[in-house]
Amino acid sequence: MAKVYNWQLGREMDYRFPNGKAKRQFAAVFNINRCIACQTCSMACKSTWTFSPGQELMWWNNVETKPYGGYPNHWDVNILALQEKANPGAQVWDAARRSGRAAPYGVFEGKTIFETADQVNNMVTGYIPPEADWKAPNIHEDTATAAPAAGVTLPEHGGWFFYLQRICNHCSYPACLAACPRNAIYKREEDGIVLIDQNRCRGYRKCVEACPYKKSMYRPSTRTSEKCIACYPRIEGSDPLTEGLPMETRCMAACVGKIRLQGLVRVDDRGEWIEDRQNPLYYLVHVAKVALPLYPQFGTQPNVYYIPPRWVPRPYLRQMFGPGVDDAIAAYTHPERETVAVLQLFRASQRIVFSYKIEPGPKTAEITVGGQKREIFNDTIIGYDSNGKEVVRVTVDEPTAERPGQLNSI
Amino acid sequence: MLILRRIPRWATTGGALVAVLLCAGLLQLANANPAASQTLTLTAWQASEDPGLDPNHELWSRTQFVQAPLTAQAGSYAAGGGSIPVVWARALHYNNTLYVRLEWEDSTQDGSALKVEQFADAAAVEFPAKSATSVPSVCMGQADMGVNIWQWRADSLGNPNELYANSVVDTYPSTDDLFYTARAAGNPYANPKQGPVQNLVAVAFGTLSPAATQDVQGQGAYSNGRWSVVFSRPFTGASEDLAAFTAGTSTDIAFAVWNGSEGDRNGRKSVSSFLTLNVSGAAIPEPEGSDWLVLALAAGALLVIGGGGIGLGLYGLREGKRSA
Repeated sequence: MAKVYNWQLGREMDYRFPNGKAKRQFAAVFNINRCIACQTCSMACKSTWTFSPGQELMWWNNVETKPYGGYPNHWDVNILALQEKANPGAQVWDAARRSGRAAPYGVFEGKTIFETADQVNNMVTGYIPPEADWKAPNIHEDTATAAPAAGVTLPEHGGWFFYLQRICNHCSYPACLAACPRNAIYKREEDGIVLIDQNRCRGYRKCVEACPYKKSMYRPSTRTSEKCIACYPRIEGSDPLTEGLPMETRCMAACVGKIRLQGLVRVDDRGEWIEDRQNPLYYLVHVAKVALPLYPQFGTQPNVYYIPPRWVPRPYLRQMFGPGVDDAIAAYTHPERETVAVLQLFRASQRIVFSYKIEPGPKTAEITVGGQKREIFNDTIIGYDSNGKEVVRVTVDEPTAERPGQLNSI
Repeated sequence: MLILRRIPRWATTGGALVAVLLCAGLLQLANANPAASQTLTLTAWQASEDPGLDPNHELWSRTQFVQAPLTAQAGSYAAGGGSIPVVWARALHYNNTLYVRLEWEDSTQDGSALKVEQFADAAAVEFPAKSATSVPSVCMGQADMGVNIWQWRADSLGNPNELYANSVVDTYPSTDDLFYTARAAGNPYANPKQGPVQNLVAVAFGTLSPAATQDVQGQGAYSNGRWSVVFSRPFTGASEDLAAFTAGTSTDIAFAVWNGSEGDRNGRKSVSSFLTLNVSGAAIPEPEGSDWLVLALAAGALLVIGGGGIGLGLYGLREGKRSA
């Protein structure tokens, strides 16, 4: 076992391999607050990669309704229960020990899925969800915890649900990779994308067992396991549309609700993000701290970050996103002027935005949120590609046009 | 359970000893070759006709078996297994082709891996590569001394739709090999033309790879809670990293069995150590002449020991009931 640094946990942890060399890391921010669960992302992915015999139960991208839904069913509570059983009462955070980029959420004092495994029979604590668990990907859709007669109000709704959008997290410390006994899984140096070598895989399903997010899936028609490939041909810029420049994945580009922003961030040899102040992902995760990793306590250092839903009871969210939840919700409810501008980049371009600039605009509104006054400025944010060329320009106020009354057919 | 726990320890130990003696006696009577020493020898006899791939061919019933004990794989991650304690091995050769037949008890026939939670039963034989200058590590070989593994699997390629007679699929836009990714990548596991036996090479844990030549044939049969599997390949190995055989010489052979319903796959398996494989130029020996005196003496001794064991067991039970 090697010692590696997991900045999401604010501490070193055990992992099967030492840190590899990585230049850039695939990462994304999903804004849960905006998702309408239209499943356009799910269909974009399915119609691109998993429409062939043996892939019927495969959804590399899925959107599930929390708290009851899950694909596969109950994947997250099953892992949480296994971890709690292995380390009862001790899966806790010390949120007071926050320290810059090295420990932004404090220190996780419990055990990761690597640290609860015996390293002899298993490298990772996990389980194989049986086939039946994969057959109802949208089970409990829109099912709320209650329907209070008096309605619901912020900050925490009395009856609630929310949509959780999930793809492979292309983790910095992938559990699937650590679990594969024959090294058929690898993490690419150039973009951190995690792939299963389809030539070497022998269908042992150790990766299916190990991945806490259950994003490694078995395909009986080839007797191998497959997983989200982060649309790597698009990331590599091989789609003619972007003329050789990196392009967002299908699920990101297809997002109707404009909830997704995906890119590549610079990382050092310890897996920490190198300061890149004008990268929109860096800004959202490390400056505004409005987006958080999914179940960071598993220890894989996942690379999809979520803006948590504002209306959901905080204990549930803290369990899911760690102790950074309260600050993240505050930062989203009362956003900085810069945050409002950066949020406009979501789904503004298929090309990956590597940096941005903001041109200040006039004040256009004054609103009150939760008793606090807020000013809205119609700033313009400009996104640039990997060559520093402008790829998108968008304002905070959406341009509107009023149609003359006589043309209105309604 | 409660009663068993209260049986005096000396009585149960005595019973176990008797059971071991009984087994040994029965094995002698059955013309078997038990573990007389640390190194077992499996002899491949010269067959008078082609035994083919049928595990139930009449020739096999006339061929002496070697009983090889198996244990859980504990050498490396992913460790585990051990649910199959023993395999009965027989070997023949005919027309410069080696035939190895394995037989083991497994109450569950796991012949499908169509569901993610299903693992197929499997078995393998392992030989040193032709290039190995001495005996390689039985645990997947080592860098300068590789091993050649023939693995048989009870399942075959399929589609989960086969499990559900009423399932409906609108259309599959394309069913070219390209869309079976592992098949397009050249993975023999995903190749529908691949038979039930794969020819593999390894030089360490985690290095198992398909051999360039897939010329090992095999066939399995399941009946009465037992698997019987025949492996077959011509003596001459197609390359240096494969096993080679010559009549009148010896090499090494090891066995592994996977019990699918126990979740066995990869390193989680029941394994033997290396046995000597003697490729004999001699024909299958006729069953040894029945020496009535030896047989009578053996039967008498067994009766005495067995009677004693039963007595001890009854005494233990009575004591157990009394103390309960």
